[in-house]
Amino acid sequence: MTTNENKNYAPEHTPRLQWAKAAPEVYKAMIKLNAAAEQGLDPTIAELVKIRASQLNHCALCLDMHTKDALAAGETVERIIQLNAWEESQHFYTEKELAALELTEAITVLTEGFVPDEVYEKAAEHFEEAELAHLIAAITVINAWNRFGVTTRGVPGHYTPGMYK
Amino acid sequence: MSTGAREFQVPEQVYLSLAGLGAAAKRGLGDPALAELVMVRASQLNHCAFCLDMHLTAARKGGESQERLDLVAAWEEAGDAFTGRERAALALTEAVTVLTDGFVPDEVYGRAAEHFTEAQLAHLIAAIAVINSWNRLMVTRRTAPGETEWHS
Repeated sequence: MTTNENKNYAPEHTPRLQWAKAAPEVYKAMIKLNAAAEQGLDPTIAELVKIRASQLNHCALCLDMHTKDALAAGETVERIIQLNAWEESQHFYTEKELAALELTEAITVLTEGFVPDEVYEKAAEHFEEAELAHLIAAITVINAWNRFGVTTRGVPGHYTPGMYK
Repeated sequence: MSTGAREFQVPEQVYLSLAGLGAAAKRGLGDPALAELVMVRASQLNHCAFCLDMHLTAARKGGESQERLDLVAAWEEAGDAFTGRERAALALTEAVTVLTDGFVPDEVYGRAAEHFTEAQLAHLIAAIAVINSWNRLMVTRRTAPGETEWHS
């Protein structure tokens, strides 16, 4: 799929590096880590978290992938659109989802501070310990994918749900 | 904030997979001393006390000088304390760590690409992603410096 057929859009950029080819064992380890992180985590929450972290880290490739995955899994367009301003659209989400989104922001933006007690505690109220541990791991792992995607300038627009399964 | 570690444990398979990923990244980079500088700098930016303690200790054990470790937080102004290759890696570390403020600038990426082969660069990026992952887990868990039983 191309995004600029018959439209006067800017040309598509090329990636800086095919990192999965240059470091295949790293790519394999990332896939394994990803599967370990998401074990037992609610898949709807997992996709919301991945989209929100990818917004914060500006990963275009990751947004392409995870918005399409979310839609394919039955997520609504409205909830995806509102994610970028979820603090002001809380009635689109459950309390559990909101706690996960707040935790996602705190863990993603580490350079501006720590993970506040109230944010952590709210998440701990909504997730039992094992699921909370996997939620934190999933936030960590999407942050790692975001770093690969942004640094190597992965190109969005070519993802189809299921293509890597 | 309260003190002391929070309750959750990093799931064993997550811990083992991330350790495996880190080992693959370091192996492909092939420069353990540089890897430690990268780990220290990212841990400074992410305020990870446990990770700083661990990687400063590892760097010293690996023969790194205390003077360079003292200066790594200000490597840009540290004269010739760091080589061009190390400076390129540290600049990339900062850009890849602070993603929320922007992207990874062409000049930063380009300078790293001058000093590293494509394979080394892919593994360097992986090493930066891995320490960022440990930083996130340990900061969120509030793991204390020197705590050794954290993954039990």
